[in-house]
Amino acid sequence: MAIASPIALLALWEWASATGFLREVFFPRPSTIAVHLRDLAADGTLWAHLATTLARIGWSFSLAAVLGVAIGLAMGLWRRLREGLDPVFAVIYPIPSVLFLPLVSFLVPPGEIALVVTTAVTSFFLIAFTTTHGVRQIDQRVVEAALHYGARGWRLFATVLLPGALPFIFTGLRLGLGFSLIVVVAVEIVAASRGLGALLWLSWQILKVEDMYATFFVIALLGGLLSYGLAALRARLLPWVPDLGDR
Amino acid sequence: MPTREPKVLVNEVSVTFESRGRSVVALDRISLQAHAGEFLCIVGPSGSGKSTLLRVLAGLHRQSAGEVRIEVDHPGTPLTAMVFQEHALLPWRTVRDNVTFGLENRGVARAEREARAREMLAMVGLTRFAQHYPHQLSGGMKQRVGIARALANDPEVLLMDEPLAALDAQTRTIMQEELLRIWATLGKTVVYVTHSLEEALLLGDRIVLLTARPGRVSQVYPVDLGRPRGLEVRASPAYGALLETIWSRLREEVVRAMAEDRGPEADGLGA
Repeated sequence: MAIASPIALLALWEWASATGFLREVFFPRPSTIAVHLRDLAADGTLWAHLATTLARIGWSFSLAAVLGVAIGLAMGLWRRLREGLDPVFAVIYPIPSVLFLPLVSFLVPPGEIALVVTTAVTSFFLIAFTTTHGVRQIDQRVVEAALHYGARGWRLFATVLLPGALPFIFTGLRLGLGFSLIVVVAVEIVAASRGLGALLWLSWQILKVEDMYATFFVIALLGGLLSYGLAALRARLLPWVPDLGDR
Repeated sequence: MPTREPKVLVNEVSVTFESRGRSVVALDRISLQAHAGEFLCIVGPSGSGKSTLLRVLAGLHRQSAGEVRIEVDHPGTPLTAMVFQEHALLPWRTVRDNVTFGLENRGVARAEREARAREMLAMVGLTRFAQHYPHQLSGGMKQRVGIARALANDPEVLLMDEPLAALDAQTRTIMQEELLRIWATLGKTVVYVTHSLEEALLLGDRIVLLTARPGRVSQVYPVDLGRPRGLEVRASPAYGALLETIWSRLREEVVRAMAEDRGPEADGLGA
């Protein structure tokens, strides 16, 4: 099913465009888009933009992951901190990340760094939230048993609290990575001349609709790969988590 | 085998819980002792504070008054090790690493830890499952790991908080026999909390009956049913007589506990 449903959708699209049910000017056939995608790849355009976007995701996701996990753990462990930060988070979190771009540009050098930091904002909140929750949902009976068997301080953290929170941290990382892609593309549309978002927007503006769709597919594929990659990593790193059928 | 030598001394121990500005007395001046090598069962209606008493012995809860003394025979090992009701294994550790957890926290060398784990897992019949994770095991197997984890620490006293309560009847019966075998092998002093009188009669050397909240010692019954004891003991007249005697007393307490839970004094405070 995972493979069949996208293929069926593409076949339907091909048919609709070929028969004129959809206007080919705006909805070129997938087979035409594939040709354009090949050309974009062949002349190196696609790879250059893809590399730029991947680098931005890499930096901003790393930033969000490190800060999000650290602050999320701290909030999970210390009630005072959690109660202090919760209202701030609640207010900032729902703001669409792209809106932070001007603000961030005042704080850090505009350009690449501002772009990376803006992209990190939403992922950071997602990762911090899930990490906090991950610490809080640990079975207190297990913590008590660990205390009874002599785990204290750092050992309690490393052998109980951190592993106990890890499944949630992974969920947060997966969501955060997905949002990094969403936001980076949005920011690239608004404020960059390179990157997949910029390529997509430029193609649209000069009405190279086939290139726009080609870029669109690359972005979709990238999102899928990142998500499956982290899910596979999770299954690898957390063998104790029963298979939830969640991929 | 039990001796007259006291191993655990509980002297006038009281526990009071503060709950929404009111205080609830869970244990009221409990005094009892367990002899070295004895299998002591504590029975009482729910809310009698039997688990609380065990938690005090385990050092997980501090008594409000009174004292607890445990005689130390092997310095360097923990005073108590608890087998928890819902096993409370660390889900992210393999069976073996759960068993060695206490030793690891005490800084015991790896080789010694692993030798100890092998020995304990062999004793509870889980040698083949050393590398499994808890979620891959059945309820009975998890509780075997819980027992191995406790015994690996070679505690002065083994504490067990309704360890078989969550198991199905057949598994529970098998585990009771296993427990008797392990206890006979190791000769540990055991303090065993259960709500099942039949279980206490099968396992215990003596049965301490607690009253409904606040928990007090109602009476202590010696179980003179001989050793080694197996399920066949249930057919003996002495067993029936003792069951009848203790049950008639326990029944009063259970009825009183139920009445209290329905009354305005009920506070939803489980123990």
